[in-house]
Amino acid sequence: MTELSEVQRWMHSTLLAPGSESQARAADFLTPMAHLDAAQALSIYQRSYALRLAACMREQFPATCHALGAALFNDFVETYVAALPPESYTLHDLGRRFAGFLADQRPDKDAAEKETWIDFLIDLARFERQVYVAHDCDGVESSGLEMADLATPDSALAVQPSLTVAEYGFDVSSYFHGVRAASDPPIPSERPSFVAVLRANYQTTTVPLSHAHFTFLQALCAGENVAAALSAVSHALGQSDADVRRGWDAGSATRQRWIDAGFFVKQPPAA
Amino acid sequence: MTRASDLAALPELGLGLGLRNVHFEHILNHWPAVDWFEAISENFMDSGGRPRDVLRRVAKRYPVVLHGVSLSIGSTDPLDMEYLARLKALTAEVSPAWVSDHLCWTGVMGLNSHDLLPVPLNAETLDHIAARVHKVQDYLGRPLILENPSTYVSFHATTMDEPAFLRALAERTGCGLLLDVNNVYVSCVNAGTDPATYLRAFPMDRVVQMHLAGHTDLGTHIIDSHDQPVRPEVWQLYALACAMTGGVATLLEWDGNIPDFETCHAELLKSKAYRDGAFQDLVAERSTAISANVSNPVQFLVPGIDDVTHLADGA
Repeated sequence: MTELSEVQRWMHSTLLAPGSESQARAADFLTPMAHLDAAQALSIYQRSYALRLAACMREQFPATCHALGAALFNDFVETYVAALPPESYTLHDLGRRFAGFLADQRPDKDAAEKETWIDFLIDLARFERQVYVAHDCDGVESSGLEMADLATPDSALAVQPSLTVAEYGFDVSSYFHGVRAASDPPIPSERPSFVAVLRANYQTTTVPLSHAHFTFLQALCAGENVAAALSAVSHALGQSDADVRRGWDAGSATRQRWIDAGFFVKQPPAA
Repeated sequence: MTRASDLAALPELGLGLGLRNVHFEHILNHWPAVDWFEAISENFMDSGGRPRDVLRRVAKRYPVVLHGVSLSIGSTDPLDMEYLARLKALTAEVSPAWVSDHLCWTGVMGLNSHDLLPVPLNAETLDHIAARVHKVQDYLGRPLILENPSTYVSFHATTMDEPAFLRALAERTGCGLLLDVNNVYVSCVNAGTDPATYLRAFPMDRVVQMHLAGHTDLGTHIIDSHDQPVRPEVWQLYALACAMTGGVATLLEWDGNIPDFETCHAELLKSKAYRDGAFQDLVAERSTAISANVSNPVQFLVPGIDDVTHLADGA
């Protein structure tokens, strides 16, 4: 190992684990500064590391932070980045594993009865990540794709690139928007919730869905065409294909609303 | 191979501002009379959304420079070629006047601190970084411009001062330099050395850009916080640097507690007087604060999600 490599491995280890044995070696690597000894000077970087990542996570998970309170949220973040330190060059990636981490670390993980409060927090973190990704992902705006319009036949409908759907055990979307409106919304009671998130004209939008609509859009997001997506709905609802098809054809208001909201692009004809 | 003449061909852009998301609307609505903008590369290179669209539109109207915080030129990890590919793609898209980053490392062993960490300045580090600068310049097809970082520690392994190190690096690689005047002040005060002596030793013939920013003085040390106006002692150093360089492109960074665009612009325009040679006798006064400021680069945080709407009748 070169001297430079040794210095870097040591210094990074002190950021990940302040107060560890490696910090005791500060004077082995560092000279005193004008008014600070080696350990005090090193602590500036340690403090900045923790504060920077916590600030970034609060930006990415404002509603989760609100639900927990900033102090407890910061504690969660500290545990999170200690267990899963950042690997990517971009801070956009920082929150990618947060919801999974919360699920993996929940104290009632092995209990038969799970605490709904923890279920809510995990769902809320998942939802905030869904919104965050939609906000800056590759979207339709500069893709060259053409937005669908009312004249676009079903056979040419495809979901636009930024659209995702997800199922939650709580109405996390309403809670999220309540926090954004600077209110202090009550924690929602447990009930299934389905949400689409998309971005059109650089505007990110969350859309509550019924179970049937969620199933339909989920199939489209998986690359299925409208006919196959309707079959997925009929399977999920236990209804005949013909009944579901009639429902879709009759439900033109939903189709129109989704087209107006930018859900769909025109699928190019197969070559 | 990058040559010194590549640097000479770079334009003198004048007075520029950092392109920050809180100012997007103002810029797009008013197209203010700013000479140029500097964009944090990482805030835009992975963006498929509005930030990248704004940068594209800004680049059509103004000269832009890409300023990176994640190249990690000093790391002993391999260069991140995926990162460089994305950076190169962005340069092809917005044609920056130049591409800059810092004399630092950001992580090792596959991890990232998201901080600009200092390196010991010695022959081994010089060999290591020079080889990597050559690779980056060859890959990007343009000279790399490297900035002196703000530092809070110094190493037993350091055998060269920073100006000498940067001079040697520039001579060996043909890279240019970004002189951050605030960082000079911060690093020198923290180390107990003289900022003016630092400037007099700096290879000014390699400087293509300067940075100005505010800092927070905590008494025992100074944090490069970028969250307030430029301090008088930094303006004084800037006047000296202008006299030594003959004037180069200057950029004001403001990354925390960012005020409205006009306030930032007014702060930037103060530099005109110092470039012209006035105020060089300004007396530097240190005033201290008690705060838990985070050193920059805070603003390579995240684009604010400020425009999420709720379509209530979607079901």
